[in-house]
Amino acid sequence: MEFRQARYAERMLKEYSSGSSFFLHQDEIPDWIPAEIRRSSLILPDVSEYDVIRHFTRLSQMNYSVDTGLYPLGSCTMKFNPKYADKIASMPEFSEMHPLADESLVQGSLQVMYELQEMLKEISHMDEVSLQPPAGAHGEFTGIRIVKKYFQDAGAADVRDEILIPDSAHGTNPASAAMGGFKTIEIPSNSNGTVDVEALKAALSERTAALMITNPNTLGIFETEIEEIARLVHEAGAFLYYDGANFNAILGKTAPGKMGFDITHFNLHKTFATPHGGGGPGAGPVGVRGKLAEYLPVPLVRYRDGKYMLDGSLKHSIGKVSAYFGNFGILLRAWAYIKRNGSEGLENVSETAVLNTNYLAKKLASTYLIPKGKLKKHEVVVSSENTGRRALDIAKYLLDEGIHPPTVYFPLTVHEAMMIEVTESASRDDIDTFAEALIRAASEDPEKLKKLPQNTAVGRVDEVKAARDLKLKW
Amino acid sequence: MSSKDSSGMLNFLSLDTVEALFSDIPKNSRTDGLKIGHGIEENDLLLQAAAVSSKNHASGCINFLGNGAYRRIIPSVVDTVVSMGEFQTAYTPYQPEISQGMLQALFEYQSVISDLTAMDVTNSSMYDGPTALGEAARMAYRCSNGDEILIPSIMYRNRLSVIENYLAGLPVKMVPYRIDPSTGQIDMQDIEAKITDHTFGIVAENPSSLGVIDPNVMKIASIKKNALLITYYDPVSLGILKPPGEYGTDIAVGEGQQLGIHLNLGGPYLGLFSFANEYLRKSPGRIMGQTTDSQGRRAFVMTLQTREQHIRRDRAMSNICSNQALMAVAALSYLATVGPGGLRSVAARTFSNSKLLVNSFERAKIGKFGMKGIPFSDVLINLQLDEKALSSRLHDSCIAGGIAASRILTTDAKGGYFFSVTESTTHENIQSLINAVGGN
Repeated sequence: MEFRQARYAERMLKEYSSGSSFFLHQDEIPDWIPAEIRRSSLILPDVSEYDVIRHFTRLSQMNYSVDTGLYPLGSCTMKFNPKYADKIASMPEFSEMHPLADESLVQGSLQVMYELQEMLKEISHMDEVSLQPPAGAHGEFTGIRIVKKYFQDAGAADVRDEILIPDSAHGTNPASAAMGGFKTIEIPSNSNGTVDVEALKAALSERTAALMITNPNTLGIFETEIEEIARLVHEAGAFLYYDGANFNAILGKTAPGKMGFDITHFNLHKTFATPHGGGGPGAGPVGVRGKLAEYLPVPLVRYRDGKYMLDGSLKHSIGKVSAYFGNFGILLRAWAYIKRNGSEGLENVSETAVLNTNYLAKKLASTYLIPKGKLKKHEVVVSSENTGRRALDIAKYLLDEGIHPPTVYFPLTVHEAMMIEVTESASRDDIDTFAEALIRAASEDPEKLKKLPQNTAVGRVDEVKAARDLKLKW
Repeated sequence: MSSKDSSGMLNFLSLDTVEALFSDIPKNSRTDGLKIGHGIEENDLLLQAAAVSSKNHASGCINFLGNGAYRRIIPSVVDTVVSMGEFQTAYTPYQPEISQGMLQALFEYQSVISDLTAMDVTNSSMYDGPTALGEAARMAYRCSNGDEILIPSIMYRNRLSVIENYLAGLPVKMVPYRIDPSTGQIDMQDIEAKITDHTFGIVAENPSSLGVIDPNVMKIASIKKNALLITYYDPVSLGILKPPGEYGTDIAVGEGQQLGIHLNLGGPYLGLFSFANEYLRKSPGRIMGQTTDSQGRRAFVMTLQTREQHIRRDRAMSNICSNQALMAVAALSYLATVGPGGLRSVAARTFSNSKLLVNSFERAKIGKFGMKGIPFSDVLINLQLDEKALSSRLHDSCIAGGIAASRILTTDAKGGYFFSVTESTTHENIQSLINAVGGN
């Protein structure tokens, strides 16, 4: 594809001189505010509305997005974000509700939350779901807090101070466990790229509080020994935690509860198509089974006697993990997406995503090394090591072709890794074009690759200089 | 996907059905499809959503709710900016060359919040105010010695609960210091007595959770010993008030919802997170830096990533990955649109409205503001009415507000009800409130 990204030497907002067009009729500072608590000067950009819009329009034209094209970042599930969801989220009857409003005034919003809780329960086979965590990592942290509090109440928190995590896990897993005050123990993968069950057995002990895994894992491979893993973890008296980042592979095919997981978080901004916003907001609801239901953050939404209500009465609740009920604007979009798709639609999402991945994997197999198992789920990890070209350089080649590159250098268990997730929002044509570009890159002159990209708003960015000569504000 | 595409792709894979792609899932773990109902047409979905939304009644009512989330005037340009698909549907800018737009916007956001607060560095966002406060408390622990953190005896319960969760994994103790109910401000004698060599952090709120501006926060730096001063501020109040960086704050955090973000029943909001330069490498969250490209042109990139979870794993400064980037863009476009004069008038009108509210209650002899301090948005009024009677009078007049202090504060030292104002509150709104509460 012939691609040229817009290139503006766009001024900083503070360099505009047009002056704000905003005004309120009263603008004098009341004289009864003592001088000693007032600020002496306030420096902010002072820009007319027309310049604000032009500034951000130009910046937007220097930003790639799902609306622009394929965005196959592995484990990020950059699928198309349906516009009906945005339309619903912008209805003022939803967007102008105050979080402290009386339940009787916000029955509609509570209904959305209640129905979403119920739908997520069915999708995951969990018994109870809290929508409060505002991101996936925060869902993990919430799950970790639940595990900690459970063992505290059982008088075993001092003993059960270890969380086991496979070496291929997302970085958030060990970070969340450590934040919750646990030691983390890394479990190696076997030659299939899945959890080494013998190593797991050796690591499990009376100190183990939980095993955190994602299934399929970050190599896009299903952990076929999951039932045995669940049995071993439970036998050791620990909990099994499901990192829901890769849920897009399994909708309707299996469910964390069915596989034996006790705790699950969802990434609504991945699986359920809510926009990523250039890094956020997301939403990371948490589901639990059985006795852990009493530990969820409060409140949950209940439906009783024809009314939706907030229930803050959970006996062992860990309390609040964010200010209110979570990122409602994101929850609402996910609700819309699930309703619109229904059971068959969501099953079709996973089928298409998995078909697309396997199709792409086979196309790339003669050019790139594809470590581990043959059958992929939502993503495939390829290594460029055999091509003599660095994954980073190949990524920059793709930029010049107008395609966002895959996640590079992750998982850490694969050298020169490119982790690719095309999702269901890609036609065969899209995948063919993408695969052809990847294949061309593998035989491109390595010296030439280092000079790319050239068709983007800026050329190769000097990250070393950014870290050395820190400039973090104007 | 078209069936032509899928059958061609299955052929290429030498497979008969897509089901074969799921043959690696053990039989016992297979589920028999989903049971969440059939999909619906777009138009039916929109009708259904409209029907559900119409069960919300608060939007037509006069609003006096606040206490952490505020109905402020949002210039229309802000909604236009955050609706731009190139911002809304982008991921974290991991590939800087093709993501300069978002990177520059977030760099500008870091700059304006640093200017607003007079702090050295601002990260590119946390989830919301309380989670930013939780992260600040953890950061203070990393940056100092000791195992005690001082917190106000009176604060919002949800805010306290969030900090408790953030600190639960650390061997630390939370020590409350006294907020004087007669002033609404910090009891300086009490806090001074509680600051010891073991204190690693001091959480101070300005305005306090009783709603008043607290000049005592400005005196803490001189008595804080080894502790880091964490100031929880109101960003709009900084249109007039002395910024946290000018009174020795080490970490300044707050809720950015007021800066152009819709109420949305509590989220997505924006955690504002700024700090002094010396703590940079111990700080959580993503940070954008300015650099150059291969041609020497100005360029932006995510920097200091070795602090973050995807590189440092269990030794990362925080687990945060997805943040609230788009809300940071909202706040940036809001501040650029209103400008320094606009923010000053928004703060000024908020002060004037809270004064008018107090005067109106007292003139009508139905309520009293019982503190010496100056209220900003949240005005605590003592009434003769019990909660049920108040709630029914407000309900009859379609007024949302009058939250009992005992419902949201950690300690009910004052009683009373909160009525919150902003620049969007009109004199007529206040008169309607007085009439309703007075039973007229």
